[in-house]
Amino acid sequence: MTEFYRQYLSVAVLIGAAALMFGAMLGAGRLLRPNRPQPEKFITYEAGSDPVGGWGQSNVRYYVYALLFVMFDVEAVFIFPWAVNLKSLGVYGLIEMAVFIIVLTLGLVYAWRKGVLRWA
Amino acid sequence: MNPHVDFHAFAPEIVLTVTIVAVLIADLFTDDSKLPARIAALGVLGSLVPVLTLAVDGQTRSLFGGAFVVDPFSLVLTGFFLVAGYVTLLLSFDYIGEGDYYQGEFYVLLLTSLLGMIVISSARDLISIFVALETITIPTFVLAGWRKHDTKSNEASLKYFLIGVLSSAVMLYGMSLVFGLANSTVLVDIHKYASGHTPALFAVAVFLTLVGFAFKVSAVPFHFWAPDTYEGAPTPVTAFLSVASKAGGFVALLTIVRLGFFPSGNSWQPILWVLAAASMTLGNLAALRQTNIVRMLAYSSIAQGGFILVPLAVAGDVRGNAAWQAVVIYILIYGAMNLGAFAAVIAAARRTRSAEISRLAGFGRTNPAIAVMFSVFLFSLAGIPPLAGWFAKFVMFRAVFDANTTVAVVLGVIAAVNSVIAFFYYSGVVRRLWFDEPAAGVELSSPRLPVGLSAAMGLMTAVILVVGVYPQFFARLGEIAFQRG
Repeated sequence: MTEFYRQYLSVAVLIGAAALMFGAMLGAGRLLRPNRPQPEKFITYEAGSDPVGGWGQSNVRYYVYALLFVMFDVEAVFIFPWAVNLKSLGVYGLIEMAVFIIVLTLGLVYAWRKGVLRWA
Repeated sequence: MNPHVDFHAFAPEIVLTVTIVAVLIADLFTDDSKLPARIAALGVLGSLVPVLTLAVDGQTRSLFGGAFVVDPFSLVLTGFFLVAGYVTLLLSFDYIGEGDYYQGEFYVLLLTSLLGMIVISSARDLISIFVALETITIPTFVLAGWRKHDTKSNEASLKYFLIGVLSSAVMLYGMSLVFGLANSTVLVDIHKYASGHTPALFAVAVFLTLVGFAFKVSAVPFHFWAPDTYEGAPTPVTAFLSVASKAGGFVALLTIVRLGFFPSGNSWQPILWVLAAASMTLGNLAALRQTNIVRMLAYSSIAQGGFILVPLAVAGDVRGNAAWQAVVIYILIYGAMNLGAFAAVIAAARRTRSAEISRLAGFGRTNPAIAVMFSVFLFSLAGIPPLAGWFAKFVMFRAVFDANTTVAVVLGVIAAVNSVIAFFYYSGVVRRLWFDEPAAGVELSSPRLPVGLSAAMGLMTAVILVVGVYPQFFARLGEIAFQRG
């Protein structure tokens, strides 16, 4: 049983260390920072613009392009290692990569058919 | 170089993937709104064909350096997931078709999640288990928020997303420690490592990994997201989450404990013991107080999850495969009962337009057929013979008595007390269905019940009655799962 407790002591140490770390960070902040409550400090984003009703710096429609970018990014991540080993992978690798790219392109076709590429 | 790949071994996965692509294409290039649903249903049934051919073949196939293994265990559970997925599709057709929802995307996401589940039943290393688990969860984040204009659905989705990401992070941290100690992600190697003398850090690694799984299977004290998510998500999605997705977590947990951590019993048994005891007790006590039927079933599924954890927690002291069999049998039966219960909730809500338990008063007089099946599901969940639920409880208690240690018996006593508590709230709903007067002013509209929904309810009732009277059927499946192929 002593072995058992010794093992679990490590779990307790982990939890204790985690609690201590957060306690120290938040506690130090509380001790060091001045306390001057203002109504502006209680709104969701303390960035100077109203979170609701104001206008933001970036257009929300850009997220579609970010998503599509990720698609091509992932494609590149897998294509580069394949291209380096193109010769040794042979026809088998070529077919595999073709399947992969076709499935991935389906994502672009989806975006196109659903009309998200149009800036309306 | 043509690497030898056994395509037969993962033919179910290939068929399902092709189906997903076909559903997406059908949704994009045709205006027939029913076509994606039809292809999806056909594809799920089609994936069962290679499962059967593999079962007839009966050979254990190991691929990708032991990371993906097709054996009786994975075939039984792949079959279970595909059937559960098909029933979910039956529940969804009209719910999704009648509302103002995207249709094609719904089926694509549902099938993608299903794909993750059938992969997880064959996954035998930490990375493939993790990837499969994420394939299960990520589509369900979106599915939970399918009722876009309902703030509750949005809340459900967001909560599920945040907790899902947190649990993945915790689990990955644990897995990275396991990898660091065992120098391998393949479970067989981790098993070898755990057989030797392990440093105290291994307990931390196991602890964090299991906590991640505890979130996924909504075990107390990592359950708080479940009731809100279940209530806000569309009901067919809730059925899917509470059965298939939860079972996916349990299957991964079973695999990782049985094939990986098993020799180091000190590190995982106490954690699972606490999770099991807490889930049963808290789930049942909270279910007692619910007025909303979906929330009640959410807490009940937390409690049922606790029951599933019981044989797992005592597995170290059970000789042979009895404990593992109990887990698999419980999962199979729980799937049938809970899918049925949610089908009945959907059917009842079509009539009463509400999920409040009080609105179900007198439902037995106005809609006897639904009420009879609803009662069957609830009594089965409570574990009353001759309905299948009793056998699930029976194998669980048998595992406890096989283990026959003090801690196991204490856990058995907690489970027994909880079975009684559970009976109280399940029968409370049944009492409302049959013995209460319909409340004044409650209009029970009677639109025709969709074919898919009736078929799902009928099928689940049949399974519960057959297995309840003839439990050898599922018992045999449990035995087959752990035979050496």
